[in-house]
Amino acid sequence: MSTRSTVFRRALSLPQAKIGLTLTAVVVLLAVLGPWLGPWLTGHDTTGFAGKPFQSDGVAGTDGLGRDVFTRFLAGGATLLLYAVLATAIGVVLGTALGMLAGYTGGRLDSVIMRGNDVLLSFPQLVFALLAIAMLGPQGWLLVLVIGITHAPRVARVARQATVAVKDSDYIRAAQLYAMPRRRILLREVLPNITGPLMVELGLRLTYSIGYVASLSFLGLGIQPPSADWGLMINENRIALVVEPWGVLLPVLAIAVLTVGTNLVTDSLASAAAGREKEVTA
Amino acid sequence: MSFDKRISRRNFLVGSAVLAGTAPLLSACGGRSSAVAAPTGAPRRGGTLRVGITGGGASDTLDPHIPATSPDIARVRNLYEPLLYRDHDYRLEMLVAESLTPSPDARTWTATLREGVRFHDGRPVTPADVIATFRRIMDPDDPKSGAASLTMLGEVVASGDRRVEFRLTEPSTVFDDYLAQYSLGIVPADFSVDRPIGTGPFRTQDFTPGLQSTFVRNEHYWRPGQPYLDELVLINFAEDDARINALLSSQVDAIDQVPVALVEVLRSDERLRVLSAQTGTWLPFTMRVDRPPFDDVRVRQALRLVVDREQMINQVLSGQGRIGNDLYGPFDPAYASELPQRRQDIAEARRLLTEAGHPNLDVELVTAPIQAGAVEAAQVFQQQAKAAGVNVRLRRLDTTAFWENYLSWDFAQSFWYTRNYLPQVASGSLPQSPYNETHWSDPEFLGLVRRADRTVDRAEREDLLKRAQRIEYERGGNIIWGFMNQVDAHQVYVAGLLPDRTGLPLSGYSFREAWLG
Repeated sequence: MSTRSTVFRRALSLPQAKIGLTLTAVVVLLAVLGPWLGPWLTGHDTTGFAGKPFQSDGVAGTDGLGRDVFTRFLAGGATLLLYAVLATAIGVVLGTALGMLAGYTGGRLDSVIMRGNDVLLSFPQLVFALLAIAMLGPQGWLLVLVIGITHAPRVARVARQATVAVKDSDYIRAAQLYAMPRRRILLREVLPNITGPLMVELGLRLTYSIGYVASLSFLGLGIQPPSADWGLMINENRIALVVEPWGVLLPVLAIAVLTVGTNLVTDSLASAAAGREKEVTA
Repeated sequence: MSFDKRISRRNFLVGSAVLAGTAPLLSACGGRSSAVAAPTGAPRRGGTLRVGITGGGASDTLDPHIPATSPDIARVRNLYEPLLYRDHDYRLEMLVAESLTPSPDARTWTATLREGVRFHDGRPVTPADVIATFRRIMDPDDPKSGAASLTMLGEVVASGDRRVEFRLTEPSTVFDDYLAQYSLGIVPADFSVDRPIGTGPFRTQDFTPGLQSTFVRNEHYWRPGQPYLDELVLINFAEDDARINALLSSQVDAIDQVPVALVEVLRSDERLRVLSAQTGTWLPFTMRVDRPPFDDVRVRQALRLVVDREQMINQVLSGQGRIGNDLYGPFDPAYASELPQRRQDIAEARRLLTEAGHPNLDVELVTAPIQAGAVEAAQVFQQQAKAAGVNVRLRRLDTTAFWENYLSWDFAQSFWYTRNYLPQVASGSLPQSPYNETHWSDPEFLGLVRRADRTVDRAEREDLLKRAQRIEYERGGNIIWGFMNQVDAHQVYVAGLLPDRTGLPLSGYSFREAWLG
């Protein structure tokens, strides 16, 4: 348990982590509070018409249907964020379980799991998601599931590598001597000792998830109209980029700030974890 | 000033790249004042007009009788001419024929060919060519697009040096309207697509499917002086952004189909002119009258009352259109303009729905980007229906998936160009129509239309048609909320492009009248 907290504390002491956390927090707050704040601030709801399309009424103008861009911007982050977090959670939990199992057990199971992984890895993530959505239709749960599943093999590789590195340690040998069941060894002994790389993976996958959900929505395969969503907004308003840029710029900025923020945090986690390893080997 | 510089540099690059941009290059170098003045006076001969056209692809064709996409139609309109067609005001205009007259029983129509009309290779048009053309179109093994509306055509026979008789299997009083289609271009008897010869104002020089076609002036064209251009280049553009950027950077001289939201922007650019034309083009919601809940006329009328038509025009078309009254064929002399304009009436809609047993109606509306504004219209309708307690679920498909099950959707959308009443009925409102989206088959309506088809007396026919329209107004399956304007744009130095009611973009793609100042 103590290793995790030191990684966190060490990471947090880095200035880039503070910047990253602040950026992430700002966007998350905006996304969570936005749906309530929007109608209260602007007097419009997300689907009501504020004026003719692409006019400069209101704070940030109107969109392609004459709805208020600022209201939709405020309301557009919640679903994106929720989907991204859920997809990341599925990917990391599934990937970690598979990776640890493969790394700890070794032998034939290892080969089966990891070769299966390689098959999945050979599909580009976005193409795989496009395939599934084209077949089953754009549903929220499918989006989360597909992105989560495509994350899993990538997480599994890291988890397996980390597990292999610790599985011959004395404390694991000791646990094996006590005939502790495999599940408990994995959860109690292995998992706490590989949190460093897993945290890095978590951050990385979150960043990717945000990107994928937004891209799929942009392509019209993610979150569906008339919902307000950042990815969708970019698509809906890109035609008027020269006239009413806010409909594109606001969501682009929010997605950029969010991904840069999570990436900075991930980076500092990575360097903190690497620092710890250096310490251990030294 | 830096903006000016950028434009002219880009012009220069583009101009030298395509080796065709002399006119825009000169006008841009000549400074603002000369670039801004629209050309006036008599049309000037010469020059190349480059036109950016939406859509097209690998299946692009020069076949006069199966144009499918906008670039196909643009090519067909300039290479070939039918016996007669529609002018810019949607009146019939004689082209290859100088007259077309019905017999008293409307079973035989006689066309007299215009003297001096020649094909691109200089041969005059003969009755044999006309007969061969219609044989090609009606080929039972490979019927062309025009064949669907010519089902009443029995045979085509020559009856003199310049005379052709169309013998019909049943009387048709509006056969001239059916013949006035761009996909019925007259071609020589020995026509083959490899040698695309017609009587149009331009002839083919170069054609690359999916990319562009280059046409040159047809020196045998029958209208004196026309066309004014030496060369016409039609370029495919798949993306709206690309087409607009090509116009802004003077890579093309004119583009079709400006997204309505951008009209104001283009209007504010003094180098450009926006060409906005009132048309009879409509983008209806189609309800299948044989499927629940739309088989109940009260539900259909309620959904028609739910629509705020002015708001539709404003939100979907940025104001570029006119409101509709659930009737099509607005330019038909028999258009039922006496019927009161239907407006949003939420209370009445709620009452009808409750009466029909659907106080909280929940319907699925299938939508796809089949035309600019389609998906937008569906979204605005969804929002408006909320007021009447109707939950509209949008099912957004891609265009291919939409057309795959087209005609089987319970509640969907469609898109139609300008037509007069009876031709429109033949295409979409009869049980045997190829595109009867609403599965409309009202016995009283059918009786009226059948009688109108045989009634030669104009006043009597119009009366029948008005009665048929009243039936559609009272129980039809289309929600016709408006007629869209056709909005295109061109450089200020392009002249001779006129607003066209047919719904075809850019002066109806008729570039014979275009000239460069």
